[in-house]
Amino acid sequence: MLRNHLFNIFFTLIFFGLFSLIISFYYDDVSRALYDPAIFPTDKSFDLQACQSWRDDTRQFVVSNENKAKQITVLMYHRVIPEDQLNDTHVQANGDLFSTIILKSEFDEQMQILQDAGYTTLTLKELELFIQGNLDVPERSIVLTFDDGFKDNAIEAAPVLRDHGFTAANFVITGAVNMYDSAYKPGEYQYFSVDDLHNTCDVFEFESHTYNFHKRMEDNTPYLIGKPDKLVQEDLEASIVNLDGNTQAFASPYGAFDKENIQLFKQLDFNMAFTVIPGTVKQGTDIYQVPRKEVLANERIQDFKEKIGLQDGDT
Amino acid sequence: MLLKITLVLFIFFICFQLLYILYPLYAVNKTNKGTRLKREKGISVVIPAYNEEAIILNCLQGIINLNYNNYEIIFVNDGSQDKTLQILNDQLDLRPTFKKLPAVKIPHQEIKDIYHSELFPKIYLIDKVNGGKADALNAGIEYAAKEIVVTLDADSILDPDSLSAINSSFEDKNIIAAGGLVQIQQGFRGSILKPRPTFKLRGLVRYQIIQYLTSFYLHKFTQAKLNSITVIAGAFGAFRKQALFDANGYRKTVGEDMDITLKIHKLMKTNNRYKKGKLTFIPQAICYTQCPETFKDLYNQRIRWQKAFIDCILHFKKSLFRHLGFSASFFLIFDSFLLGTLSAFPTILIPITLLIYINGYMVAAALFTVAIFLAIYQGIVMVIVGARFGMNYSGRQLLKVLLFIPFEAITYRLLGLLFVTTGTILYFKNKNSWYVSKRIKHSQQPTVSKISLNKNTI
Repeated sequence: MLRNHLFNIFFTLIFFGLFSLIISFYYDDVSRALYDPAIFPTDKSFDLQACQSWRDDTRQFVVSNENKAKQITVLMYHRVIPEDQLNDTHVQANGDLFSTIILKSEFDEQMQILQDAGYTTLTLKELELFIQGNLDVPERSIVLTFDDGFKDNAIEAAPVLRDHGFTAANFVITGAVNMYDSAYKPGEYQYFSVDDLHNTCDVFEFESHTYNFHKRMEDNTPYLIGKPDKLVQEDLEASIVNLDGNTQAFASPYGAFDKENIQLFKQLDFNMAFTVIPGTVKQGTDIYQVPRKEVLANERIQDFKEKIGLQDGDT
Repeated sequence: MLLKITLVLFIFFICFQLLYILYPLYAVNKTNKGTRLKREKGISVVIPAYNEEAIILNCLQGIINLNYNNYEIIFVNDGSQDKTLQILNDQLDLRPTFKKLPAVKIPHQEIKDIYHSELFPKIYLIDKVNGGKADALNAGIEYAAKEIVVTLDADSILDPDSLSAINSSFEDKNIIAAGGLVQIQQGFRGSILKPRPTFKLRGLVRYQIIQYLTSFYLHKFTQAKLNSITVIAGAFGAFRKQALFDANGYRKTVGEDMDITLKIHKLMKTNNRYKKGKLTFIPQAICYTQCPETFKDLYNQRIRWQKAFIDCILHFKKSLFRHLGFSASFFLIFDSFLLGTLSAFPTILIPITLLIYINGYMVAAALFTVAIFLAIYQGIVMVIVGARFGMNYSGRQLLKVLLFIPFEAITYRLLGLLFVTTGTILYFKNKNSWYVSKRIKHSQQPTVSKISLNKNTI
């Protein structure tokens, strides 16, 4: 009787032990399958604070008056794709690459140019301080930005940046971030996974590119302008939650925004907002309309140098 | 969405399996051989027989060996076209009798003659016009003289102590009906008086042995505790005669056993006299039945079972919860119908969905692993509980059983899916013609050709 009792208990313990082993082994796979990859939850964060703290460490540059930067270029990238991975999805009807796609080899070359010329990449905080006139930065300073948060940024661009000791800002459509990582497929519109964010948070500072408003209305009006202010606000708030409350900067999709939007950026405590209007940033530039120059597909080295204000012959 | 439904169903499945694993393990804690009472209640054993010439003597053999006195046997020859009647007559020396009178409560086909055995005064035979098994049972009940009616299939052999186990169990006034333990004949060697379990058998028979043992020792045992037995197997059941009358006897359907069980549940819910009534399972009341040995026979049997099940579900669907107790309704819907039948369809679709939804393979693997794990554990508990009830496999046989359990879980068990789905589809396909389907034919020749007439228990 007692022997049976002990046996039963022992048997039950082993049973539940093995059972929990099986459950824990498959737990991730099942919760992953249950997860709807279409959109990241509005109430969860990427949990990035710890590895993003570096962007608040403003450097004090020792620069003489004549070596001080008077203007700074902010470059804008979207996708970086290796040449051998190109396929139909990357090409427009006329056979040209989409303007947002930079070849990996071109990107390498461009970063090499920046390094050879002795460029320093600034954090957005440093840029903000520069605009406010509170920080002197070297003449050859530059700000690199990526829009949308494509997975290729993590796979292709991040290692290059890391190799050159550069950092960049990455404006992420936070709702598009995948909770679970999946294999890299450069042929698809594939966004960061949370893992990607964590793996590259040493070179990217992640900022908001809306939660899920990188869209246009039927009449082609971007959501930010077309949608009621309240909905826009809710969307941006969700992106801030995803980004652990970070409100350093915002970039509007398609560079489209109106006065109400700017009001909203201020209300939500964004420190700065970026446009896609080409131009250079100077002391006193409108902090909510910071211009950026887009690096385009098949850009000639000459044009690139021109964009960053590098004279031919300069090194 | 589909995935979520699957997972919810699966969680139900796990819960039921856990219940079936853990409850019997803790409830059957000591070797339990049952008790034997001095006072014997009267038991009428009704045995419907339709073309049973090949096996009817096996059944008779079991009766002759019974360790019980207060009983009568009523064979009901349901218009057999073979030599069933003649064979019985040869062994029993049947004489027409006018002393057996009907209760005149349940209609049935015309009775041709009633016989009394000259050699075994406890044995009667009703010869009637063919009307199907339910009809034959009704006729048998009509003429049953005792308080308790046991229904037995003609291909089943009663264990010598089976009736005294029923007697002990019915000592509880609230027990209205009970199912016995149906063992598979082929799984035993030696004489009926001292059967030894064996596992040196074909896979198809092994599969059925595991299934029967699991179904009775674990499922029925657990369901009995929750008063939610939804089928008292037609092969071997015991009822208070009055309850059978109050339920208006058997309905003409292939699933007459499930039907009568549910009718008794209905009595408990709707008739005040049966308010405290219970249906139970008596593990010590054993009968040995022959199981199909070929795939074709097994297929026919299982298709018949599934059709019977669907028919009963449809017949009682409006009674669920209203006229049937909560527990029985719950088990019927969730365990039998949802998990037993409905989920078989998507399970078959799993391999197909995997091809479409490639990322789901880990989920499929998870479900598969858990199901197999539970099946194996259930098998092990079945062996343990069986041993506590006295079903002891010897060393080598036990090893065979234990090795077969995991194998069975991933092979033979899938047959169940085939039977359940095909049976359901066939039911709806030819709704009107199915109930004439015949009993399986036994390939095996009678194992008992001569009855030992010198038993003094009769």
